[in-house]
Amino acid sequence: MSTDDESFHPLGQEWEDELETMLDDTEYDSDLGMEMAKDAMRVTKGELSEADFHEKYHEDVMDEFGVDDRPTEEAYEEAKKNAGGFAEMLKSFDGDGDESRRDVMKKMGVGAAAVGLGAWGTAEGGQPNVADESGGHSTEAHREGDTQWGMAIDLERCDGCLSCVRACAQENNLDQGVNWMYVLDYEDGGADTSQNRLVRPCQHCTDAPCEKVCPTTARHTRDKDGLVLTDYDVCIGCRYCQVACPYGVNYFQWDEPDVSTEEIAAEHDGEGDMMVDSRGRWVDSRSPRGTMSKCTMCPSRQDGFSGEDKIGTSACEDACPPDAIQFGNMRDENSDPQRYIENPSRGRALRDLGDKETTAPSLNAIEEDIADADADLASVLEASEDLDEETLRTMKAIEIVTEDFGEGDADSVDYEVHINDIFDLLEEHGLDLDSQEVLVELDLADEPDEGEEFEGADEGDAQDAIDDYDGRPSSSFKLLEDVGTNPNVVYFGNEPGPNAEQVEGPSAYADISYERADGSEPNLVDNRKEEILDEGTVGDAGVSL
Amino acid sequence: MSTKTPSKADILRPIGTFSKKYLAVYSVAALGLIAFLIAWAYQLQKGLIVTGLGDWGTGGGATWGLYIGAFIWWVGVAHGGIILSASVRLLGMDRYMPVARIAEMTTIGGLSAAGFYILVHMGRPDRMVTSVLGHFHITVNNSPLVWDVTVITAYFVLSATYLGLTIRYDVNRLRDDLPDKFEPIYKIITFGYSEKEDEIIQRMVWWLAAAVIIMAPLLLHGGVIPWLFSLLPAMPAWTGGIQGPMFLSIALMSAISGVMIISYTFRRVYNWEHIITDDIFRGLLLWLGFFTLLFLWFQLQSVLNGVFLGPLNTAHAAEGKMAHPAYQVAMTMIFLTLVYIFLQAIRPALFSKTRALIASCAILAGTLTEKILFVVEGFFHPTFDIYTATPGTYFPSLIEILSLVGTASLVALLFLNLAKLVPVVELHAIEHLTGGHDHEHGHEETTKTETEPEVKA
Ligand code: SF4
Ligand code: SF4
Repeated sequence: MSTDDESFHPLGQEWEDELETMLDDTEYDSDLGMEMAKDAMRVTKGELSEADFHEKYHEDVMDEFGVDDRPTEEAYEEAKKNAGGFAEMLKSFDGDGDESRRDVMKKMGVGAAAVGLGAWGTAEGGQPNVADESGGHSTEAHREGDTQWGMAIDLERCDGCLSCVRACAQENNLDQGVNWMYVLDYEDGGADTSQNRLVRPCQHCTDAPCEKVCPTTARHTRDKDGLVLTDYDVCIGCRYCQVACPYGVNYFQWDEPDVSTEEIAAEHDGEGDMMVDSRGRWVDSRSPRGTMSKCTMCPSRQDGFSGEDKIGTSACEDACPPDAIQFGNMRDENSDPQRYIENPSRGRALRDLGDKETTAPSLNAIEEDIADADADLASVLEASEDLDEETLRTMKAIEIVTEDFGEGDADSVDYEVHINDIFDLLEEHGLDLDSQEVLVELDLADEPDEGEEFEGADEGDAQDAIDDYDGRPSSSFKLLEDVGTNPNVVYFGNEPGPNAEQVEGPSAYADISYERADGSEPNLVDNRKEEILDEGTVGDAGVSL
Repeated sequence: MSTKTPSKADILRPIGTFSKKYLAVYSVAALGLIAFLIAWAYQLQKGLIVTGLGDWGTGGGATWGLYIGAFIWWVGVAHGGIILSASVRLLGMDRYMPVARIAEMTTIGGLSAAGFYILVHMGRPDRMVTSVLGHFHITVNNSPLVWDVTVITAYFVLSATYLGLTIRYDVNRLRDDLPDKFEPIYKIITFGYSEKEDEIIQRMVWWLAAAVIIMAPLLLHGGVIPWLFSLLPAMPAWTGGIQGPMFLSIALMSAISGVMIISYTFRRVYNWEHIITDDIFRGLLLWLGFFTLLFLWFQLQSVLNGVFLGPLNTAHAAEGKMAHPAYQVAMTMIFLTLVYIFLQAIRPALFSKTRALIASCAILAGTLTEKILFVVEGFFHPTFDIYTATPGTYFPSLIEILSLVGTASLVALLFLNLAKLVPVVELHAIEHLTGGHDHEHGHEETTKTETEPEVKA
């Protein structure tokens, strides 16, 4: 679909012009109609909520037509549960099924019809596929919208424990060997002795080749947040997406999956069933037989079906003990991945010093330790077991280099808040962390020359302190960037070269088991072909071409 | 034998006769097809796990295999066939007129087999209509697979029209000699026929042929089909502009070989030595040699591009390909055939129809192997070749192998049925052979009588 066309509708400018003329023919307000049409398209793209759309136009529609037959918000919510969705709402304009489409459109006089005859048609089949026609394809790099989920993965922090692989298989009830998330060690030749490890989810490419080649639009980018998903109800199982993906992240469902849809649905009694997303399309969890699957970046979580606090998280991110995976909105500079990308050594230090669940100094312990100590830096450090000079220096340094410290809704802000709490505690105790004396002592500021004023903390010194604490990553990269896929996963650490070859990692796949909705607890499988698929092959020759 | 004059009765012979041998061949072909249909039903029931395929990447398999390899091979046979027949009509290569219709029927057969493979290959063939046609207006802008399906359908229609138009002419003239039991079919074929249309039809056929030839490099086997692979950036075994000419040369090689085998069979069974003459085989063999030469040249180009100085991904792919025993066998077979074709061109005594037949079989086997290997090699040597713990492995399962039998039987059945319905050699060819006997053909006759003793020697 071309993007140089200014039109808002996928069928293009021509269609819109026709629509406008048609609206001009009616007694109703065509400007309002076109305006509504535009917003209707935004609804199908997920940029505007259906309820908002309704609200925005309720009054206008009343003025123009004297009646607004569309359901109220409550009624709409009710209707949505019955799977009709937006299409149902549109249909309510149509009082009488016998009228011709053109008549209906004239009578309605609203551009909502611009959502497209096609969409109308599919909607009537009971499938809320309104988004298909428009939202299906955005192969251009310039997808609009403020959200693009993605990841920053710090390979130097990954300890190869496969917790993410396990968590993913568990969350999505995957068959053995379907490793949507995959972790591997490799050798690259040469003298490099630093860690060579790769954590490999789907890259949710902005210019996804898998989507471009799909003959059905089953593989599509979700317009509201850039996730590259597979519509299991549309996929024909041609496997062209798997062929075209440069990273080898796709897994075909060669036979009946182990866990049934009923079992998956039963496991989720809250909102959503972990399979159908907010648009009503079946894109989440393991795929049914004969269709393609891959890492989804947890659409059910992003749609809020797993609770408000799970939005902006992924199962693998949650499970990673050293916090090597930062999941979040790549188009928000305050998201976890973007903050990490901006200053990776800060990200590392912040996690080590701010995560009270694991490595961070404990607030209570400090409070107890320093209760009787004097209010000068040396005494405080002396008294506290958790707090030494380097720790405090790094904490303070993080605050110095961070804009809006402790504010925002990224996960890592919790770490900042914890550090802030410690600072508050120290201030209460009488230690002024912003004083010249303390800053200079912590090597975070220069002593002013005679007669000059103290200039406060030095950001350069602060950054050095942070870099010293956990080290800087050797490099950052995107995987196979020159192929032109525009991946949305950013890596820190060594980039695998063209000669990289996988070697054994610290944990074996076979040693790790995961729980599934059917109660089974199989172990992870590395080579799916050999261990699982060959058993089903008719006349497995045991040799290879 | 060379004194026999081709006649209407000759080309009507297959329609009028019914032998035990025919029945036997028919039964074998039907069994072959049914056996595969049963196997397919089993595959539908169990899922594609019954194949030897897997997931490339961490899955340790090859995503596509024999099904897709055979698919492009059949499409190649089909496209080569239609190009062959179009050249006869367009370039006035009247000498090959007796096999033109066989080439067209091969096209129909090849396309049917290829279309069948599309369904067999898919995980959810039941969604073909809703998912593919339903989104055609969007996907046709992006997906080479959709281009493929579109072009194959278009060519099916084109070839069928083409074939239909020439058959119409024949059926009308031969109507009295054709069996009455097929009356309704003949009625449909000749619906609204009048002699006045002959000239128009001639012109239409000419234009259709022109369209086929002009579009061959782009829309047939030189463009859309190789693009399925060659446009993908991360599979160096496939990438590159050379695939266009390569595919086209393979298509022509396979089609010529196929047409030779089928023609040989008809000639033997119906004593058509004076219609499908040795001369035709000699000519086809030379053309086969020419395209084989081109093919080997393209192979050299593509392989050398990798091994000389990288880049690394291309080098790995090229080295992997060259080192593969099946590749070496296929290339040797094709090369030896080429050597034979040249030798027999220099020393006509080396020609025999049996040898031409063997050469055709060798080429067909060679191209089929190359196609399957070509598909699989892509997955064995991707650019992102890091997954050493799960190296790609693939060997076709019995069901996949049976699909070759099934589709070959399908094509055989098509010929067996058509042969009973309409003449497989067109009336024009007979008219041409008898009419042109004195001048141009007379010369050919002499060459033939000259060479005949040599062959026997
Ligand atoms: S990595 Fe990119 S090309 Fe591969 S499946 Fe994911 S989005 Fe598609
Ligand atoms: S397997 Fe499914 S998602 Fe992948 S290209 Fe084919 S139809 Fe599209």
